[in-house]
Amino acid sequence: MVLAFVLLSPGGRPAPCRLLYARSFGPPPHDRLLRKEQLLAVARQVSSHCHLQHASSGRPPASPLPEDPSPLHAAPGGLFHLPPGDPFPGRATVTWLAAPSVALALVCEAHENLTLAEGTLRLLAGRLTALLRPHGPGLLLRPEAADLVLDRLLPHGQLLFLSRPFLHAVERDGGGKAAR
Amino acid sequence: MGTAAAESFLKQAREVQEDELNRFAARVAAQLQGPEPGPEAADCLQRLHLVLAASKRPRRLDAHLVELLQAVLCSPKCPEQIQLLCAAVLREMSPCDGLQLSCDGIHDTKLLSLVSSVLLAQGEEKAEVSAVGQRVVRALEGRLPEGQSSRYLLPILSNVISLSPEALTEEQTNVVSKKMADWLRYASIQQGVAQPSGGFFSNPRTRQPGPVTEVDGAIATDFFTVLSLGQYYTEDQWLNMQAFSMLRKWLLCYGGKEVNTPNLGDTSEMDGSVVSVVSTSSTSSRLLPPKERLREKAFEYCQRLIEQSNRQALKKADGDLQKACLIEAVAIMDIICKQDSSYVYRAASFLKILHGRISGDATYARALLPIAQFFLNHGEMAAVDCDAIYKHLFTDIPAQLFHNSSLAFEFVLFCKDNSQLFTETSSIFRQNFPNLFKFLAWNSPPLIAEFVDILPFLLDAGTAIEIFHLLLDLPCLTAALDVQMRSSSLPSSEKAACDPAVKPAACLEAFRSPLHRSAFQYLLRIESSSEDAQERLIPLRQLLGSLASSPRVMQCADTVPVLLELFFSVVAEFADASLINQLVVLVLQRSDQLYEIPAFKDDVHRVLSSQLVMLCKLRPALIMELSKELLEFSGTVSNIQNKEPIFTHVVWAIGEYMSVSYDKRCTVEQITRFFETLEAVLFEVTQLRPQANVPSYAPRAITVLMTALTKLAARSQDLIPRVSLFLSKMRTFVQSPAVTSVYCEEDREEILTRATELMNLLKMPSVAQFVFTPSVDVAHTRFQKEQTHCDLRDNFRQQLREIYRSTLLLTPRAFLICPLSSRCHAVFFICTRSLLYIFELYSVNKRNSK
Repeated sequence: MVLAFVLLSPGGRPAPCRLLYARSFGPPPHDRLLRKEQLLAVARQVSSHCHLQHASSGRPPASPLPEDPSPLHAAPGGLFHLPPGDPFPGRATVTWLAAPSVALALVCEAHENLTLAEGTLRLLAGRLTALLRPHGPGLLLRPEAADLVLDRLLPHGQLLFLSRPFLHAVERDGGGKAAR
Repeated sequence: MGTAAAESFLKQAREVQEDELNRFAARVAAQLQGPEPGPEAADCLQRLHLVLAASKRPRRLDAHLVELLQAVLCSPKCPEQIQLLCAAVLREMSPCDGLQLSCDGIHDTKLLSLVSSVLLAQGEEKAEVSAVGQRVVRALEGRLPEGQSSRYLLPILSNVISLSPEALTEEQTNVVSKKMADWLRYASIQQGVAQPSGGFFSNPRTRQPGPVTEVDGAIATDFFTVLSLGQYYTEDQWLNMQAFSMLRKWLLCYGGKEVNTPNLGDTSEMDGSVVSVVSTSSTSSRLLPPKERLREKAFEYCQRLIEQSNRQALKKADGDLQKACLIEAVAIMDIICKQDSSYVYRAASFLKILHGRISGDATYARALLPIAQFFLNHGEMAAVDCDAIYKHLFTDIPAQLFHNSSLAFEFVLFCKDNSQLFTETSSIFRQNFPNLFKFLAWNSPPLIAEFVDILPFLLDAGTAIEIFHLLLDLPCLTAALDVQMRSSSLPSSEKAACDPAVKPAACLEAFRSPLHRSAFQYLLRIESSSEDAQERLIPLRQLLGSLASSPRVMQCADTVPVLLELFFSVVAEFADASLINQLVVLVLQRSDQLYEIPAFKDDVHRVLSSQLVMLCKLRPALIMELSKELLEFSGTVSNIQNKEPIFTHVVWAIGEYMSVSYDKRCTVEQITRFFETLEAVLFEVTQLRPQANVPSYAPRAITVLMTALTKLAARSQDLIPRVSLFLSKMRTFVQSPAVTSVYCEEDREEILTRATELMNLLKMPSVAQFVFTPSVDVAHTRFQKEQTHCDLRDNFRQQLREIYRSTLLLTPRAFLICPLSSRCHAVFFICTRSLLYIFELYSVNKRNSK
């Protein structure tokens, strides 16, 4: 079970990281502020892991949204652990992926199938970065488009074992009409 | 997305004032009330969502708009985009006042899913969660209206049970368990039919469904699973996929509670595995209660998935799915075996074969972890020899795949979760720790927190020394792994992970040369080794110096101080005299055998110095036992410049613990020997050389040297004249032009103040002895927080406490009229002087610590 999905602009010196889209599936806290802080805490950690990994890889800085999207299967990413109570009540694992200029992450419950979560995150990344491209500040103003992608590939936070044909079927169903 | 553009949008959204929002909300409401909300309504809702989402604090919306949002969301004619936006706004507002949504009247399953997403996001309203759960179970139980798909239902149920497992009654869980068993095991093996497009030329006869296929293209001959491929899927195949996706969670929630299994008389649960294997193998599974039946079907499903994962996938994506399925299948088998041990025997033999099949394939490495987990949990019961499995896991995998960050993370998490079990049942964990450190060396940022948890389990008297070396050489290990990767024939994508800016041509050559081979092999060893090859590593550290600036190496270096501190705190709990002595010697030795990263060396010196004092405190006798090493170290002037923190702490420890109060073996001769060594150093440091430049030594080292000499002299009073003479010369020293050009005024003042204080104290030898030689009881209690520069202050504080305790025994009157002994006079004098010292020293030390 996925507790939350976040899509962020990881920022860098001096820009802070910004949450561009987020969706929670886990037990909602009593307080809205707490929910927001939980997601921001994850976003900040993802951002620093992005920067650290970028530094250690020695890769040149990525150009923002190139015309030809770089293949996401080679995009840097990783996993890190969130201890119980910080910021979610239980232990959680975050899988993250750095697409050009944005980063995406799934906060998974402990003992979730991380191989599946990583695969799902790549699927989501491919579709969500495609949404970002033609529309400038994209997802900030089109939350329903991202919701639709999530409802199909990660309905209610449930990771799905989608084979290729199932993936096609999921995407055929209803098409991208609402996303336009 | 342009960060600046996003930033600007967020800023605008945050700055929207309440009255502005109210006006905008009214506009949104007007749009929603129109006959059919169109693009303009969508635009308004998108902006409204942004305003709500951009702010952390809750924004209040008009109750009428909240009502409208709910009404539009549930309106069957509303376009999907508008519905999605209404749901998004309502979710964003959660917890939302005035929410009247309910699942009850909704028959459209897709809408039910959307409405549920709003309801389940509302907070800990268990009743609401339960109501959603009840509604979904009812929908799954009954017959859905024409055109409705049940594929939207199971994910809602999965969310419901995550939020509140008690949302479903036992009866309901039985109903769902029964259905899940059927979906898993009896989904159609024919492909689904494409929905007719309704085109004029469409011909239903051309779309006869064929059988589903395996990932390698062969026609499936057994039941449907998520690895069965088809162009279109039937409803039950969808449910099969979803049921498997949530199976693990379901079993964890409801599979284990063995309540109410009436009228079956099946005692297999209680019996030993041999009897039960027979009973669960029986074909009369229809007679089993739902939970047991689900377990059986789930087990068969997992077996089939494992068999299917043996097929060669035609597409990479399917190959990836095979791996994810394999991991899931093994994990589910593990859960089933935990819930019903009668499966253990079957599962163990099956997984043993699986292990044999995949252990040679690096792409399946992650699947080895759940297999090992299974054998850790059930190996004993299954009477399977698991050593080969663990051995392969701990020797080959880290050595070959340390650069796979996901595997590294899962591996380390696996070790962490099982560290207790491993340390109790198998030596493999401690035996292969050098291999585990490769994961950390290469992937430091995500793994450091996990290693903090693992390290205590790796440490024991047998491994401590080797781990100490390993920690100090960790950045060097990163560099060596880098060289190893560059020189091996790893895929080019992995090579790209190395820093291209660094040119380790010399390292690569060295890696291949016989001269350095054994050193590299030692550094990259996979098992713990009793061999002491530290000498061989000295040239290697220099050789790998060209990689010291690599960001990966630097990131690794940053983790070492934390782990070193942890190392000492754990070791302190079990170390015996011999280990403590060994460690102290090693601290002195290794302090100048470190990988050449200046910040790293400073950090390590800082940690080692404080830990060295901790070891001395733990075992003051080591000062006597290691006098040769300590004299040699503290007698070397260059140590003040190269490793001032360690030097200062060693000198402090000598001054503090070289006392008969701590060790009865301490003689005047030995005190004199230490005194003379330190005296020579202080002489060297403070010697004025008119011609040459005065080298700059840390003022802290000078003050600590003076204090240590004073302490030693106080315990062997023949030395007092010598140290007093020395101290008296400090005024000349600090005032000489050569010194004023090197030390700032503050430093000079500190040195002089300390010298004066110590000199004054030595004027009353018995007081000096009293102050500097605490009783053994005091010695055991006085160190709460050790800090070299606080020594005098702490000492005085402690003395004061003692003095007050003893003088308070006398009433003030008695104190005045009774003839006081000379000791009491001195005590009284010291009391008042001490207060002054404390305040003075406090300010000096504060400056020092800056």
